[in-house]
Amino acid sequence: MNPEFLLGSVLLLVGTIAAAFPRPRTYLNRLINLEISAWGLLLLMLSYNEALALLTFGGVSALTVYIFVRVLQKKEAAV
Amino acid sequence: MPSPAPLQEDWIAVNEVLVLAFAILVILGALLTIRESDPFRKLISLGIMIGGVMPFIVDRGLLDVAIAIALIAPLSTLFTLMVCGRGES
Amino acid sequence: MGCAIVAVYAALRVALESDTLRKLPFLNVLSFAVAGSIALIIPHPLSIVAAAAYFVGSTLESNAIASTFAGGLDRRE
Repeated sequence: MNPEFLLGSVLLLVGTIAAAFPRPRTYLNRLINLEISAWGLLLLMLSYNEALALLTFGGVSALTVYIFVRVLQKKEAAV
Repeated sequence: MPSPAPLQEDWIAVNEVLVLAFAILVILGALLTIRESDPFRKLISLGIMIGGVMPFIVDRGLLDVAIAIALIAPLSTLFTLMVCGRGES
Repeated sequence: MGCAIVAVYAALRVALESDTLRKLPFLNVLSFAVAGSIALIIPHPLSIVAAAAYFVGSTLESNAIASTFAGGLDRRE
């Protein structure tokens, strides 16, 4: 049981619960809480020594956040 | 059931105090991120959590991955800051 | 090991601070401590590059948060 595995699973669980039930119920809080879970998954990948998966997931995570931000901006402009 | 890959023993140079310190950083950052309600405070707490995660990547010896993640992670925060500008306050 | 203790102390100071704009210098202290810890953690010539990359990235992030909090770029008109 590595410390990375333990820490990553705790972070993944807590981040998923926080993203499902955010305290002030806005989309921005949901998006920021989703990043906790993303870093937890990154720690889990680190625990299995998957270097290429880490590299790919790091790039795709930033791209996903950018797409979500564009969706939120479009939604704010429409209202 | 496949067992996880064995540790690269020659790269592990971190003693227990450093692991405990950065684990404290990660847990404190995550709990603070969940508890705060202002988006700026949430992003600052997320910075604490990223600072705790980064030495674990370096500790495995994956230095190229650490360089890439360290340069990509602030981009994610910048994209989030684009939508949480001071709208109403 | 000293760098990690400085990092934990800075994280506690960030957690206990009530003013948002006053949190940011302590976040910078935490980034410096973590960057020094990354450079000292393994003896490899590439680790100083990783520390420099984390240093640049975290400083950029902190400055972006401060700039947006203080009003940001005025894109209107």
